[in-house]
Amino acid sequence: METVDLSIASLVLTFLLLALPVVLSLLFGFRLLKPLFYAVGRMTVQLILIGIFLKYLFLWNNTWINLLWLMIMITVAVFSAVRSSSIKISRIFIPGFLSFTVATFVVIFYLNLVVIPLDNVFDARYLIVLGGMLLGNSLRGNIVGISTFYKNIRNDTRKYLYTLSLGASHYEALLPYLRESVELALKPTLAAMATMGIVALPGMMTGVILGGASPEVAIKYQIMIMIAIVVSTITSVVLTILMTLRVCFNHYGVLRQDVFTDRAPGHKKSSRRSRPPGSAAAGRR
Amino acid sequence: MIAFNHIHLSFNGKKVLDDLSLAVERGEKVVILGKSGSGKSSLFSLLLGFLEPDAGEIFFAGRRVDEKSVWEVRRKVAYIDQDVSLGSGTIFDLLDFIARLKTNLHLGQIRKEADELQHYFELSDEVLNKNIEELSGGERQRLAVMIAVLLHRDVFLLDEVTSALDLHLKKKVADFFIDRKDWTCLVISHDPVWLENPAVKVFDLEEKTWRL
Repeated sequence: METVDLSIASLVLTFLLLALPVVLSLLFGFRLLKPLFYAVGRMTVQLILIGIFLKYLFLWNNTWINLLWLMIMITVAVFSAVRSSSIKISRIFIPGFLSFTVATFVVIFYLNLVVIPLDNVFDARYLIVLGGMLLGNSLRGNIVGISTFYKNIRNDTRKYLYTLSLGASHYEALLPYLRESVELALKPTLAAMATMGIVALPGMMTGVILGGASPEVAIKYQIMIMIAIVVSTITSVVLTILMTLRVCFNHYGVLRQDVFTDRAPGHKKSSRRSRPPGSAAAGRR
Repeated sequence: MIAFNHIHLSFNGKKVLDDLSLAVERGEKVVILGKSGSGKSSLFSLLLGFLEPDAGEIFFAGRRVDEKSVWEVRRKVAYIDQDVSLGSGTIFDLLDFIARLKTNLHLGQIRKEADELQHYFELSDEVLNKNIEELSGGERQRLAVMIAVLLHRDVFLLDEVTSALDLHLKKKVADFFIDRKDWTCLVISHDPVWLENPAVKVFDLEEKTWRL
């Protein structure tokens, strides 16, 4: 069964649905109209442009263009993750880019080469679409994971340094924080997996069914992509953290305070928890 | 054993340590005296590599403390922070974590030894079964001291480890360290139990001299 195409008129009718949130906003005074219309407008323009672009991308189906576009998607994803993580871009961009690239490529090529398998592993229809799903869904996990790791160490400096003083290696001292960050990064994805299909049909499955495939095919793709997302998320979070250790810690294992874009909590009051003992010695106690 | 040679340290433009030199021999018990903000805790942080001096060198057991050797220093020194940052969880979780560190694998039955030490430091079974966050300041200090002893090291950096204890326990803790001739102790404290003990040397950090 082929997908039913939506005409421009159909889309206009979709936009008419927005009348409901508009009425509710006016009734209850929600300050949502401006952000709502901005978001919808921006989304529409972006999707139109991307739709046109993807149309030609799929038409050409050129390996190098497909790979280039995937690298651009990875770059944008890394920027997005880094910008939201409170770590300076200059410190984390290259390690983040490398880890996202490794995680995405390893998983995609495994899917395209081994799982599906395709005659052309660089086929735009699979490379770009699957790549986009992996990046989009693992992005939030990466933001949470990277942010949590470094912020927890910064907020808990004295305990971290005490662990080092016990004779722990750098790895041993970092391990509890790495564990917590990765567990937190995966929580939303694992929670979504637990209710998948019960609460709502997930996006991939919906798209595949609307594209004309049977539900049996759709669920197989959904299972495949969810596992791929979990693997991609955990791989990219771990790799990014491991690769940034060298630039974010000095050779004594101490976290460099200048890696953050924001100040430590209570910085103005010289928070003792977030600084080495004695560093607040200048005229305070 | 430990030597600070011509150490300079500043924070936010303010000089904390100005050409400080201090040497501590093996087996000595040295109390470091100074006003608040005079850099006492900074000395410990410098030795452990948590801070780097602006100038000067630090030596431990004859070897300069640098990025490579500091990891060895941390394996030979037992440090107790004045704020006693033991984290959260139960005490037994903490002891297990410490015992699992590669450098401490040789310690063997750390929990069994803890049982013996708890009585000396008057930590009841009830206290040992609590979560660390539920402990009083004095209980946390005694726990931190017990942990430091369980590490089987012979150099101790003790930052205000008796401040939250009553007089009886202050004396007990101080005597425990002072009586052990082969232990080297650097102590930050204003407690008379340390200062009035004839076996203890006192270094005035601001005057940069030994008090007689």
